[in-house]
This record gives sequence, structure tokens and C-alpha cells, in this order.
Amino acid sequence: MLSIYTIGTSALHRLHPLTKLSGAFFFILATYLSSWPFVPVLVFVLLLAIAQIAGVAQRLAGTVGKLILPVTLSLFLIQGVLFPPLGATPLPLGPITLTYEGLLFAYLIAARLLVLSTTILLVLFVTHPSDLVFALTERGLPRSVGYILLVSLQIVPDMTARATAILEVQRSRGLSTEGALGRVRAIIPLIGPLVVGALVDVEERAMAIESRAYTAPGPKTSLRVLADTSGQHIARTILLLSCVALIIWRIASVVEIQIT
Amino acid sequence: MQTDPVINLQHISFSYAGSTTPALRDLTLSVAQGQICAVIGRAGAGKSTLCALVAGFIPHFFQGPIAGQASVDRQNVFVRPLSELVRHVALVGGNASGQISGACDTIFEEVGFALQNLGVPRAEMVERIEWALDALKISHLRDRSPYALSGGQQQRLVIAAALALRPPVLALDEPTAQLDPLAIEELAELLQELARGGTTILIAEHRLEWVAAVADQVEVLDAGQIVASGLPRDILGDPNLERLRVGRPRSVALAERAEAAGRWQTGMAWPVTLAQLVQGIRPATAARGDPAAVAEPSGTIPVSPTNTPPATPPILQIEQIAYTYPTGVQALRGVSLTVGRGERVALLGRNGAGKSTLVRHMNGLLRPRTGRVLVAGQDTSSTSVGRCAHHVGIVFQDVRNQLFASTVRDELRFGPRNLGKSKSEVERLVDQALAALDLTDAADSHPYDLAPARRRLVAIAAVLAMDTDLLVLDEPTAGLDNASIALLAQLVYDLARRGKSALVVSHDLDFCFENLERIVLVRDGLLTLDVPAHALSGANHDLLSETIGLPFGLRAAQALALAADDPLNKAMSPSAPLLAT
Repeated sequence: MLSIYTIGTSALHRLHPLTKLSGAFFFILATYLSSWPFVPVLVFVLLLAIAQIAGVAQRLAGTVGKLILPVTLSLFLIQGVLFPPLGATPLPLGPITLTYEGLLFAYLIAARLLVLSTTILLVLFVTHPSDLVFALTERGLPRSVGYILLVSLQIVPDMTARATAILEVQRSRGLSTEGALGRVRAIIPLIGPLVVGALVDVEERAMAIESRAYTAPGPKTSLRVLADTSGQHIARTILLLSCVALIIWRIASVVEIQIT
Repeated sequence: MQTDPVINLQHISFSYAGSTTPALRDLTLSVAQGQICAVIGRAGAGKSTLCALVAGFIPHFFQGPIAGQASVDRQNVFVRPLSELVRHVALVGGNASGQISGACDTIFEEVGFALQNLGVPRAEMVERIEWALDALKISHLRDRSPYALSGGQQQRLVIAAALALRPPVLALDEPTAQLDPLAIEELAELLQELARGGTTILIAEHRLEWVAAVADQVEVLDAGQIVASGLPRDILGDPNLERLRVGRPRSVALAERAEAAGRWQTGMAWPVTLAQLVQGIRPATAARGDPAAVAEPSGTIPVSPTNTPPATPPILQIEQIAYTYPTGVQALRGVSLTVGRGERVALLGRNGAGKSTLVRHMNGLLRPRTGRVLVAGQDTSSTSVGRCAHHVGIVFQDVRNQLFASTVRDELRFGPRNLGKSKSEVERLVDQALAALDLTDAADSHPYDLAPARRRLVAIAAVLAMDTDLLVLDEPTAGLDNASIALLAQLVYDLARRGKSALVVSHDLDFCFENLERIVLVRDGLLTLDVPAHALSGANHDLLSETIGLPFGLRAAQALALAADDPLNKAMSPSAPLLAT
């Protein structure tokens, strides 16, 4: 069901979700605010090393690759070949002409996206979704938003299972999905039950959570206990202060450039 | 003990918004604390509506004109909001899979979901969850996802989630629909224990033998009205039940047969439980008829002998197949099964035994890793599911995955049209299938406008209209009332008469033993039993009993045999083995 979360007991898994989120936020901010082109690469390598501790480096690299490669290719095509910035330095390469600035811009965007997706995926790989949502609701995220987040995480595997079952049922009734015409004809018998099922689910789900006291007034408790330490608390504070420092530094350098 | 009734409904009338027919009419019902009240009645009589009312979902969730007064655990149902009523009454609805919160990824958390919402302290929460999981015997599944469970396991889960609330009042709508016989017996014991502890329980149910065993009071509902009310023996033994199409307990049918054989004690009221049946049957020495016939596990429909013509080739041949899922679960480990033309076969087994995997091999949806499957002589590995559909029709359990058309008639046309039948042939088959399942009057209705039980019949009719040689039915009786089950029973006989075969996968052992001629038992991916339904030897009897339990008829026979073994009874009837098997 939880296709992203990887079960484990590594130090990274055991960290409080907010510590992981603070770290992720710091890395992403550092990458986006720094103009030095090697920062994203360094952060990416660092993230892979951290992922290795949790034993998810290989899976992380694979997932990120699949996600980022198509975006990167299109970025290089658009920025480097098709729409280079005005007045860019041409870099002829066989029959096509690239530009230095176009390539640099494409690289920066792609590298930042790489860090952004790697960081978010790493957090999701090593943090149980329920822990994450619980940590956030403890810090003021509305419970209804938390519930919707958790339900959305389950919708994909639930729908996939149902779509497979519907396909089996209708094929057993002689439905053919071969050929273009067959596929068009198959749409209604396949989509119909999926949509009706989802609509029926909404009413049943609403009844189900009502009968489970979801709207009951009064204080709530939780089965989940998130381990937190004073060390982690300090780490989070340092990380957040560093984020503030990064932002101030960045604003200061922009202001300085404009003054000079 | 509180003296006021815990459930107190006075002159309730209710219609769902937009509906012209009232769902409940001038209904008055009271249930005292610690009592188990069972509501019986045919599909659409208003049983689920009554459960929803007691739990406050009417009028707070389902709206419509309502009159009368309703209080549950001294709370005015019309006035108190649902969020407060939930502390007084818990509802377990008919469809288990729809009652999962969707926000929990383990069964342990799912059972605790409501407790967190009510602010129960953590230590108490864990203790209550453990108790509920134990009570429903699903502790071993605690780390599984609620979506990775079979229907029966999900049903146990939603009952456990309700019990963890420790509600003063519990409303259960068809709680046994997907449970196997052993689990049904366990549930009866559990509910009685809760009632002894002071919980007041309302159950809507169609299994009359189970109702007789578990309930303190029985209410018969017909078209939204209570038409009879009283003690189980008085109500369930009443011949009028059949007139209301509610059916009658199997014990009554057996007692009638005992009477015909001259072995029912004169003047004794009809029995509604096993104990009463055993008590009322006279020792065999006084018998005038065939003593074995008394306890034979056969119901109202006579069992015809097998009429399979020996020369015709089988419709389905499964030869030593094994199948392992990509996840590594070995579902089948060398299963062989042949189904001849005109045969009526029951495929039994507990949840997760491999039944569904086996069924998916019967039309090529799955292809075996080893061994082979022949459908009408053709190897499924070299043909398509579409070709197999000409010979094998499968009705799957979840009706929602099947229905898509805007009228019942169109839904039925879909299958035969796919098989390339002519227009006139399609219409003939559709009319035939509609008539067979008593759906002719609903032909132009939208399937989702029908009651859930009739919707299931539509799903069955839609596959029946394909006119295949073999009809496979997966849990066809789940959620059906006795009148609809009788239609199904008639259907399998009619198929056999026309030389067509039926294979029923079911937990409803009574249906299987009464209407099918061959019993096949699957256990841990292996076929452990394949015998005629009426020739169970001692060892096979024990195997069946241990694996899934016994149908009422065989339990009656067993109880009679035990009674015959009793020294007192023996003294009365020294040569009286009443056991039919």
C-alpha cells in the first residue's frame, strides 16, 4: 500500500519527522539560494551518502533518475538549443549550435530540481506517512487536512487494485481490449464501475468515519508515539536558524549588488 | 440494571428523501439492557434502515420525513448529534470494505482509529485494541493493511473496531454475511458474552438458525412494519414466516421430516435450535420410516442423483497446477480437478486457502506455472480469456466491479453480445436470465436503484445470460435473503437439468450441502477433499469439521449421534444410530 515508504530501523528512519523536514528544508534552501554551480552536486552526493546509511541509496537514485531524466533532457533542449538567452555565446556542436549561457541555465535548473526531488523522496522513503502527518498535526496542521493527506496516499494502490479487478471481471464477460476499436469499446465497461465504485465509496467512507467518532468533540489522543530527543530539538533549532541566516545572507548579497 | 428499555422506538415512520414508499411504518420496538434482539425479514423490508436509525444515521445522515420518538441509551436520537451518539451506540454496516477509515495502514491502528478520536488514553487504547483483536481472532493480522484482507477478515475487522468502542448499544447489519461457519459460531458466543456483560445488541440477519441460537427476542419486519415479535421459538417456529418469504429454520424442516418418519414427539413445538431438535426426535426404535433420512443434511429441495452422461468430455480439466504470485506467495501447490457436464460442485475452504486463485485459472485469467488447464478441451495457455468466456462464466464477489450499464437489461446484454450471439438470441437469453432470477419487473431499472441483494442477482443474471457450459459463482449467497437464495438453488438445478455445470465457491455450507452434489475442499493450496456431498466418511467428516465447520444438517446428525451415545439415551434406544453420514 505504502509504495514510497521503505520499512527500516536505521538512524535516519528513527529521527523525528520534523528533524528530517528541517534538514530537507535547509538543503533545498541552500541549493536554491546559492549561485555557486557546484552546490547542488555536492548536496546531491551528500544526500546519497545519507540515503546509504538508511539503505535506500540505490532505490532513491533509481526513482530520482526516472523522475528527473526526462525533465533534464527537455530543459537542455529548450534552454540550450531552441530558446537560448539573448546575446548568448554560441557553442557549435556538429549540425546544431548550443549556447554557453543556455546550457548553464539548463544545468542550474536541472540540478536544483534534482536536489529538490531527491530531498523530498528521501524524507518520504524513510518516514512513515502516518508519523509525518501526526507530527504535522501535533504542530497545528488541521486534522481534516491530515486525514485527506493519508487517504490520498492510499487512493492510488486502492484504485489500482480495483481497476485490475474490473478488467478481470469484464474480460471474463468476453470483453476484448485488442485493437483500437476494442479499446474504445472497453472504456465504458471499465471506467463505469470504477467511477460508480468511487462515488459509492464517498458515502460509505463518510458514514464510516462518522461512526468512528471522527467528529466527536473534545481532546484527541494518538496511538503513535514519536521519539524526540533534546539533541534533535537543538539540531532543528540550528537548522532553522541556519535557514534564516541563509535568507538574510542572500538578501544582503542582492542588495549589495544593486548598490554597487 | 436499568429498567427502561435501552432501545426505545415509538411509532417511527420514515421515508428516504425522494422516495415515495416509506422505509419504516409506525414501528415500535423496545429492547432491554443486555438483550440481543434480532430483526429478520426479506431483502428491502427495512432491516438496514432500522439499524441506521438506532445508530442515529437516520435522521442525521440519511434525511427524509420522520415521525415518532426514538431513544437509545437514554439519548434522544433525533436531537443528539451523531458525534455524541457515537459514545452510546456503534453501528457495523453490511458492507465491510466500505467501512474502513482509509487513514490507517495497519489493522491495529484501524481498530484504534475511533479511540484516538474519542481521546482515550494511550495505555487504555492499546489494551482495548488487543482485546478486540483477540475477541475477533485477528491478532495475527495486526500489521497487515486493512486493504490486504479477504472479505471475511475485513468483516471481523470492522466488528472489532466497533467493539473497541465498548458501546452500551451495538447495532449489527448482516454481521455473518462473509464469515465462514466456524467464525459465525464464534461470533455468536462473543455476542452472548457481551450481552451478559450488559451490552444491548440489535442484529439484522437472515440466517435463521444463527438467530435462533443467539437472540433473546426476534422481530419480523415486512415492508417497514413489525409484523411479529416474541421469543425465538415462538417466532421462528411459526409457519407464517414462509408466507412472508423470510424462510424457515433448517431445524423445522428436519423436524418435519422426523414427523413424517414418525419420530417427532407429539405435541412438541417446532424446534428452532439444534438442542431443541435433538430433544424432540424420538429414539429410532419407534421409527416407522427410514431413520437415516431424518438427519440427512438435505433441505427443502430434493437432491437429484447425478445425471452426468459418462461419455461426454468434461467441460473443465485442471491437471496438477501450481501457481505462485510475484510476491512469492505460493497459492496453489499441485491441484487437479475435473468438472463434468451437468455437475454441481461446491468449492470450499477458509480465507486464503487458494480458492480465488483456482477460480482465476478456470477461464485463463491466470495461467499455471506448472500443469495445465483445459476448457472444453482447449489448453488455456494457447487460447484467450475471450474464447474461454464462451464456455466458462464467472460471477465475481464484488458486484461493484461489474455493473456499468444504465438498465438491468443492457447490463445483461453485454456478455452475450461480446460472445457474438445474434440479436434475437441475445434477447432470448436476456429474457430467460431475467426470469430465472425474478428480475423481469426490474429490467428497465438502473441496477444501482435496486436493493443490494437484487443487485447481486443482476450480476449473476448478467453472466447467466452468456449461456456458458459452466457457471462459476463466487460467494453468491452473501447478503442475500432466503427468498433470493431459493432462486439461486433453483438456478443450479435448472442448469444441471440442461446439462450445464455449476461451481459454487462459498462459505454458506448449508446452501452447498443442500443444493450441490460434490464437495471439493481446498486447504493451503492443495485439494484435500473431493467427495459426493452425501457420502462423507468419518475421516472426511472430521477434516471438513476442523477446516471450515459443518452445515446444519450434519451438525444435527452429529448431535443426534452424540445423544444416541449418551448412556441415558442408549438405554432408551440401544440400537439407534441416527447418524446419516
